[in-house]
Order: sequence, then C-alpha cells, then structure tokens
Amino acid sequence: MFLKTELQWNVVIPAESLDAKGLMLQKAIIVRLLDDFAERKATKDLGYLLALTTVEKIGEGKVRQHTGDVLFPVTFSAISFKLFRGEILKGVVHKVLKQGVILRCGPIENVYLSSSKMPDYNYVPGENPIFLNAKSSKIEKGTTLRFIVIGAKWLEAEREFQALVGLHADYLGPVSGAPSASMYDLP
Amino acid sequence: MSGEEEENAAELKIGDEFLKAKCLMNCEVSLILEHKFEQLQQMSDDPRNQVSQVFEKSLQYVKRFSRYKNADAVKQVREILSRYQLTEFELCVLGNLCPETVEEAIAMVPSIKAKGRVHDDEVIDKMLNDIAMIKKFD
Repeated sequence: MFLKTELQWNVVIPAESLDAKGLMLQKAIIVRLLDDFAERKATKDLGYLLALTTVEKIGEGKVRQHTGDVLFPVTFSAISFKLFRGEILKGVVHKVLKQGVILRCGPIENVYLSSSKMPDYNYVPGENPIFLNAKSSKIEKGTTLRFIVIGAKWLEAEREFQALVGLHADYLGPVSGAPSASMYDLP
Repeated sequence: MSGEEEENAAELKIGDEFLKAKCLMNCEVSLILEHKFEQLQQMSDDPRNQVSQVFEKSLQYVKRFSRYKNADAVKQVREILSRYQLTEFELCVLGNLCPETVEEAIAMVPSIKAKGRVHDDEVIDKMLNDIAMIKKFD
C-alpha cells in the first residue's frame, strides 16, 4: 500500500554553509533533506521512501555545541510503500523455481510465493520453467499475479523488506495486464 | 504497531497509526511520481540519474497498475469511494483492484462485511457500478 505521512526529521547544516541567509539557507536545508531522504531508502515503520512531496515547515535552528553545525527540525510530507499482512495486491513474476516463484511488487524485489501456496499448480521444468494447473492456467516469468500477503520481514542490515505471499484464496492468481479483462474471462 | 495484536489487513488490524494515515491509490501515486519526474527532466539532461531505484521501480509499477490515467478520472474515483464510509486502506485496495462483483469485492476487502459495518450487498453493488461508470469515460 502506498502511504502519505507527515514526518519530522532533523537536518544538519555544517557551520561553513551558514553564511547563506534567507532563501539560500532554506534551499540548503531542503537540498540536505532530499539527500538524507534518498540515502535513508526505507524504514521499518514506513516501508520504502519514494518521494518527498511538500516541506511544511522549517523550525528554528539549534547550534550543536562542539561542531558549530546547526540542526534544523523540518516537517514534511512523503510517500512510502509498505506491505501489510492480509493485504491483496498485484505483482509480476520475475523468476520461476521448483520451490515457487519470485515476484516484484512496487519497489520490492524479493516477494516469495512458495509452491505450497499455489494450490493446484504444478511445476513444469524446462528452458522456460512454468507452473501450470489443470485448467491450463499458466504462471511464468512476466505473469501478473494477484496475491495475498502472508508476511513481510524487515532486514535491518540490507535496509529492505522481504515478503511471503500466497494464492490460496478466491479471486487470486494470474490476472491479465489489460485493465478491462478479469481473471474469469476464460473460454 | 502494538506487539500484542498480530497484523492482519483483512481485519483492518494494521496499527492505529496506519488506520489514520492517508493511503494513496496506484493511479494517484502515478500522477505524483510522473509529475516529479517531469520536474527533474526540466532540471537536468537525464532525470534517471537523479532518481533512486526505489523511485524508478515504483513509478514503473504504478504506471502499469493504474486503472485510471487522467487526473479528473482519478479525482472522481476518490470522490465516489469516499461516499461509502470506507477507511483509507479499504478505499485504496478497491480503487486499485477494481472488483467486478460484490463477491469479489468482499474477497478483496473482507473488512467491509465485518460486524458493525454498514455495507450490505446492495450498497457494495452500487459502489462498484459507480466506479465502473468512470472507466468508460477515461
């Protein structure tokens, strides 16, 4: 799910840059904030940080005793992406393995769908391995799947999420990429 | 997110802070990210150098999975769904997946049929018809 939240971060401006006043200082603070934002990439609470939308307020600066740098509290709005357990959404198959498939969903590359969560689908090995069910519904690289999130794990070291998903409920499985078609438009 | 209750979006157990957070549909995010990308294009030769992998992948994703492409249609979807006493989360899941039948809608967002909610099948059916109308003029 894409979320829009208001955040408050502290931006540190080094002593050297403080000659700038007014708009120049404001610009320096925003540029610094954008850099910090891009570097942060993702947090456990908000998920992946996509874009900063608006800067609401820049608070009064506080001088840091030993360095002479100034800390500015900045309030801003940002968009993030996070997967919630029980959420249903779409992803694209990126890799097909005997144990299941790996999907991509939004900024997340490691979405795992185990074969045990693909009821009635069987693995068909080959140069282009696929999963197939009795009704000839195919799951292969590039297939769009509608799935339910079983769990999402935050990996602190890599600063990314891993997710486990499944197709074990109604209306889940391959869907057409085209907007008007539904899963049930089968001959 | 409190540690005691296990997270489950199907029951709207997603943590108090998220129940109140603003959620965005893919089509809304698409408009925002595309606009940002255009702004960057005006500032430099190759905007892709300026955006993170996270941004680029997300932009590709929302462009692909947006049901409504133009700003007016996107606004209309939000407006229409907002009339139906849904949480932000439920609204966006429905706007993203565009279920075609009442049964499918309930499967996508089971919480709308939870005890105490006001959505009987007729109401859900009307809601789906209202959104379906927008698609035709997109």
